[in-house]
Amino acid sequence: MGRLRRSRAHHARRDVHRASRTRVRGRDLDMIQLIDLDPKNRAALEAQALDFEKPGLAQHYCVECAKYCETDAALQAHWRSKVHKRRCKALKEPAYTIEEAERSAGLGREGKRPTPLAVASVPMDGMVS
Amino acid sequence: MRIEKCYFCSTNVYPGHGSAFVRNDAKVFRFCTSKCHKNFKMKRNPRKVRWTKAFRKAAGKEMTIDSTIDFEKRRNVPVRYDRDLVQTTIKAMKRVGEIKSRRERAFFKNRMAVSREKQRAHRRKTMEAAKSSSVKLHEPMAVESPVSSKVQEKIKVPTKTRSALVQGEGRSMGMEID
Repeated sequence: MGRLRRSRAHHARRDVHRASRTRVRGRDLDMIQLIDLDPKNRAALEAQALDFEKPGLAQHYCVECAKYCETDAALQAHWRSKVHKRRCKALKEPAYTIEEAERSAGLGREGKRPTPLAVASVPMDGMVS
Repeated sequence: MRIEKCYFCSTNVYPGHGSAFVRNDAKVFRFCTSKCHKNFKMKRNPRKVRWTKAFRKAAGKEMTIDSTIDFEKRRNVPVRYDRDLVQTTIKAMKRVGEIKSRRERAFFKNRMAVSREKQRAHRRKTMEAAKSSSVKLHEPMAVESPVSSKVQEKIKVPTKTRSALVQGEGRSMGMEID
């Protein structure tokens, strides 16, 4: 007997679904912006100890994209890439946080003065109609 | 009982509803529906999704700076139950809600007035552009057809008066006699 199970049961989306599960979620933009991009943390991330589990022994790490590269040449190529540049642009504007979600719902914090939305000061191209 | 806010769309999440995701830095993300959760998994920025509260506030579609918004707060100080305090609080909530809705309506009216003016100006501009352009519009020619030119006359057709009283018309109940 051959294979009985029907093919194309996952609409060729299986790997996309797997990548989007919360348990494999990588570092979020707000984590990178508020923690990783701090010069001290950045230096620590760029000079990691040899780790046999990580790609390229964790020697070639891009902090903005939270990505390990295999070689230095690959990292250099990545820095020149559109993906990296797009990520850098996204990191320039303030990250969306839980506090902002609550603030836009009208829920403030006691003790803190209600700050106006951080977004209001940042011009968003093409979003304001 | 604590009513949480959805991370994505900022609506209320009541106890027993929605879902939560705890990130590995112990931050709790609450979601009102699977729709919001899915959008979060797709790594969308709520500020750029038009149906979220964050977008509406950021794009100036809703009131952001107002004293009525500052009443709802997360207070992490327990307060001993006091009958009078609860009564006055509930009264204040109703009154604040009233004022807030009135101000929101005024804000909306003001916003719409501005946008209407803008739309009118845009329409006028496009009209003038169409007029000044070299394209000329001709009226469609009337097609003369022989059929339509004939005026149909009304002709009176003499009709036989049918009466049930007259015998032999097929309507009376009387017997036909030949």
